[in-house]
Amino acid sequence: MTIRKTTSFFVLLFLLAAAIIAVFPIYMAVLNSFKTQEEMFRSVLALPSRLHWENYSQAFHKIHMLNSTVNTVTISAIGIGGILFTASLAGYKLSRTGGKLSNAIFFLFVASMLVPFHSIMIPLSRMAKNLSVQGSTYGLALIYIGLGVNMAIFLYHGFVKSIPRELEESAQIDGCNEFQSFFRIIFPLLLPITVTIAILDFLWIWNDFLLPLLMLTDVDRYTLILSTNMLFGEYNKEWSLILAALVLTAIPVVVIYAFFQKFIMEGITEGAVKG
Amino acid sequence: MPLKRYKKYVSLLMFTAPAFLLYAVFLLIPTLGGMFYSFTDWNGLNKSYHFVGFANFAEALGEDSDFVHSLWFTLKYVVFMVVLQNAIALLLAVLIETRTRSKGFFRTVFFMPNMISIIISSFMWTFVFTQVLPQIAEKTALAFLDQSWIGNPSVSFYSILIVSLWNGVGYMLIIYLAALQGVPQHLKEAAVIDGASPFQRFLHVTVPMITHAITICFFLTLNGAFKVFEVVYGLTGGGPGRSTQVITLNIYEEAFSNNFRYGYASAKSVILFVMILIITFIQISVMKKREVEA
Repeated sequence: MTIRKTTSFFVLLFLLAAAIIAVFPIYMAVLNSFKTQEEMFRSVLALPSRLHWENYSQAFHKIHMLNSTVNTVTISAIGIGGILFTASLAGYKLSRTGGKLSNAIFFLFVASMLVPFHSIMIPLSRMAKNLSVQGSTYGLALIYIGLGVNMAIFLYHGFVKSIPRELEESAQIDGCNEFQSFFRIIFPLLLPITVTIAILDFLWIWNDFLLPLLMLTDVDRYTLILSTNMLFGEYNKEWSLILAALVLTAIPVVVIYAFFQKFIMEGITEGAVKG
Repeated sequence: MPLKRYKKYVSLLMFTAPAFLLYAVFLLIPTLGGMFYSFTDWNGLNKSYHFVGFANFAEALGEDSDFVHSLWFTLKYVVFMVVLQNAIALLLAVLIETRTRSKGFFRTVFFMPNMISIIISSFMWTFVFTQVLPQIAEKTALAFLDQSWIGNPSVSFYSILIVSLWNGVGYMLIIYLAALQGVPQHLKEAAVIDGASPFQRFLHVTVPMITHAITICFFLTLNGAFKVFEVVYGLTGGGPGRSTQVITLNIYEEAFSNNFRYGYASAKSVILFVMILIITFIQISVMKKREVEA
């Protein structure tokens, strides 16, 4: 028994060491975001003499925190809402309909999941320019829908198979048309996979960097991450300010993580198993 | 019954049209367009362009030493990432699985870095690499920490790796943990009774039972590693010079910040796409064969 106990102790020690590495950069960022530049140069590890909140108020203004957050929320909400709405309709119908046309459309969606974003970013930015959606918050949200529906359709398509056809047949006998029976009977039953898709797409859109970088030109339209990226470039080496901005940008996701941890982890596992 | 078939098609189109329209405009047409332009000398500004056949591909792979370098750099990164990300995630998952009370705690901690966007992560690590580690090295005996983590290309490869792993391991960890929970307890117990050592149990009972998860995680890490962009952009910007440039960054610079050679940059994108396609295909077909049913 003692051998087992020692092993267990060393496993715990190892995990704790790994956990410290995982937390270390975040701890460093938070700790030093409350210091002045001089305090930082004296010691990065020491506690701040007092909490220099002014770093935060400065960063808050410099990254246009409120405005950037509103932009990010708008893009995420429209993007996710649009993906869920259009993909659930399409995934459901493609799953229920047989035949060559239906299979061909489904194949087209699924095959495109392998296309790397970097392979389409050039023509995509041309397309956005031609349709004059470049620089627009709503335009960017529309692009997210276009890029995100393939995976969502794939996941809905698989999930719909587990729902018995009799449900919508009986609804139609009761006088529902196809759309009514979908929204009243089927869509509520899709809730588990809807949550999964919403979470995966939220993590993607909220944290995305390159697409907004290519699409948004106006500082007023910047997402949180773009504003922070701009600040990082402009205030090179002013670490107290940069770190405060980094912490501010990370706070929304960490809060969401704290509340929805269980759903996020389930969402990732579900998405991976089905994919 | 032509009317019924007609109705079937109308309803199919009505349900799929909204998704398909946006998909076609922002994904399908750009994909095909990129392939088309890769055979032209289009510069993105002029209306006219000429077909140049495979000249762009020949130039990219034959004469463009920066691109070829970025290709090798990316491949090296892919190999390190696929091995390390899976090995670390699986190791941590197996160890966490043995804990009873602290399981949830460790899962939460190890997954947390994944929630922070990669670009923000690399800014945080830039601070650690340029300010924190040199200072710790100066004040303690840990002199090896005083590296030119970002300025020296042979070191910054590992800096890029460290940040990518820090950010990415948590995701794989979650998938492996879920898979480990699906390994039937009676199989492990039977192996214990048969006298298998913990390592043998892991190799002959656990691994075969989680091959599905291993296939998925290899697929995800392989795909993700080829498309690496943010870490390098945030940490080194591809520098010094172009020494740490990855394929995606090379394409980005070619198209958006250098000389606007859209046709040429498109050819590079197609090369990236084809490479990912081939390697993913090989990986899936090799690993699928090894999966066993519970």
